[in-house]
Amino acid sequence: MSSQHQSGAPLGVGILGAGPVTQAIHLPSLARLTDILEVRHIMDVDPAVAESVAGRVGARFSTSVEELLADPGVDIVAICSPHQFHAAQVIASCRAGKKAVLCEKPFAMTGEEAAGISAVSAETGVPIIVGAMHTFDPGWLAAEAAWGDLPEQVHTIRSSIVLPPNPRFEDFATEIVGRVPMPEQDLSDPEVIKARLQGGVMGLAIHDLPLVRRFTPDFASVEVLHAEIAQPFGYVISLRAGAVSIELRAAMNGTWEPSWVFEAIGDDAALRIDFTPSYVHAGSAAAQIRKDGQTLFLGPYGHNGYEGEWRKLAELARGTGQPPSAETLIHDLEFALSIADAADGLVDAAGATVAEEVSA
Amino acid sequence: MSAQLSLYADPQAEAAGAVAAVAASLPLSFAPAPAQGPAPDVVAVAGHTGWTQRAAGAIRGGARGVVVTSPVPEDAGQLTAQASESGATVVLDQRWAGNAVLAGPSANVQDVIADALRDAVLVDSVAVAAPGTDPLQLLTEQLSAVLHAGIELRNVRMVQRSANGYTVAATLPGGAPTALQGILTSSLPATASISVLTSAGRADIVLPEPAAAWPAEVRVVNAEGAMTLPTLYESAHRTSWSRAHSHITSGNPANDLGQFTAAMSLLTQLTD
Repeated sequence: MSSQHQSGAPLGVGILGAGPVTQAIHLPSLARLTDILEVRHIMDVDPAVAESVAGRVGARFSTSVEELLADPGVDIVAICSPHQFHAAQVIASCRAGKKAVLCEKPFAMTGEEAAGISAVSAETGVPIIVGAMHTFDPGWLAAEAAWGDLPEQVHTIRSSIVLPPNPRFEDFATEIVGRVPMPEQDLSDPEVIKARLQGGVMGLAIHDLPLVRRFTPDFASVEVLHAEIAQPFGYVISLRAGAVSIELRAAMNGTWEPSWVFEAIGDDAALRIDFTPSYVHAGSAAAQIRKDGQTLFLGPYGHNGYEGEWRKLAELARGTGQPPSAETLIHDLEFALSIADAADGLVDAAGATVAEEVSA
Repeated sequence: MSAQLSLYADPQAEAAGAVAAVAASLPLSFAPAPAQGPAPDVVAVAGHTGWTQRAAGAIRGGARGVVVTSPVPEDAGQLTAQASESGATVVLDQRWAGNAVLAGPSANVQDVIADALRDAVLVDSVAVAAPGTDPLQLLTEQLSAVLHAGIELRNVRMVQRSANGYTVAATLPGGAPTALQGILTSSLPATASISVLTSAGRADIVLPEPAAAWPAEVRVVNAEGAMTLPTLYESAHRTSWSRAHSHITSGNPANDLGQFTAAMSLLTQLTD
């Protein structure tokens, strides 16, 4: 059970898992919000990492989920552990009577797990946010408020991501301890290719898939038409959901110049959003809506989607604001899982590269 | 002063290639052919169905060269033979492949793309055209632009086609994945972009439509920084007519039909 919260005092935050995401994303984000949020407890299975990371922010540390959840100073729990622990830890946090839960994506690994989480959230009344930071980016939110009937006419969606490897930005966001190096992999091995596609969809494309789904009413019918990996890490994935074509591109190469563009295009209107890279606090996305020969520019604004997530959590924990519906979270997850699984299925069916002719 | 060539454009060719406006911007190189008199030196041909026969007919009629605007997919074998036999020049005025950065003497651009291709990890090309455009015509123009950029495509596969566009997958000779997408919309400029992502950066070309003299954009990012290459404020139409004049007066043959045939070969693999 969390503490009786006094209005105006900062809410207490506890974080499960103190790896690079916690160190490079959440702690720097929370350091910008000390008037409303305070890190009080850090848990990691590696006691040295837990102690080191907690020490940066003057928080308590532990190696036990139960100990953190029993801490009365923790109002909001952020779950930043490996994916396979997410579902159980979200449920445990809800049952511990916390005021709000942030779960890093994906918040479950199966639709059944997601439904179980939804049921517990409904039963306990604890709001849950999934760490899909682009959906909390002020640039995206401004575009959503301004695009009018665009979603009804969109027939083509593109997500194009070019990023340097994560450590480049992690190292500019903080000083990392306990980083685990990437193992060498044989990229001709179908199992490695499948793992790379899973990782690409569930670790990178997943940032934009909730945005994609906003423009695909027939998301449940999504088909993966083509899936291929790029070296050293990346993908070329083609999807179709109803009448909407969806193209996902990503390359994590050695570039110093990141680019993260989301586009939704209809017959006579189009949205383009340029997101700032992950980790660093480089402000919000900038959006352009083109229609009738005119372009509406929105943003950039002063904070990014990570900070947006925490602002939303603070609202929810104070009993204000509306959480995303459980249905939205479940559908976002099912959409991502179905794409990742179908991409792997293509590898199983025909090796590293697969395409099928589709004419509509 | 360059040799002035006479030209003739029928109304359809004039509409397709804005020939009068282009000729007016090359007044020392071209002049309208007189209504009576010898065959014009150069004949403008509209690229709708049957263009290869119309072009061959113009050559048989005595033209030293033809400029074909926006040629649709068609077997150019007989025209190639006719042009070779007659020593005539055939220049294809394609909206993106005809841009000066690809069709002109921009060695820097060719070198930059060639360097990037040697280190490519992913190639992504997007072509945009107005709703109502025939997707196969759009794909022909995109393939021509990609080939003119020096990109060799292997294992081409049609991933999806609809009334709103298409996606084609391919690989480079070194195995890097390549994607070509066509999108029909009036909300974006009718450009073709080619992005070559490399192990440490990228090279990008954005080709404008030839309705105005918008310049192409060519930009390179590598470990040393980013560089924008110089490009020209010249439409693909004007570049094509300049090339036609140069080929005819110098006697250096054009290879437009050879490159078009290569694009047709890829198109056949995608549509058979």
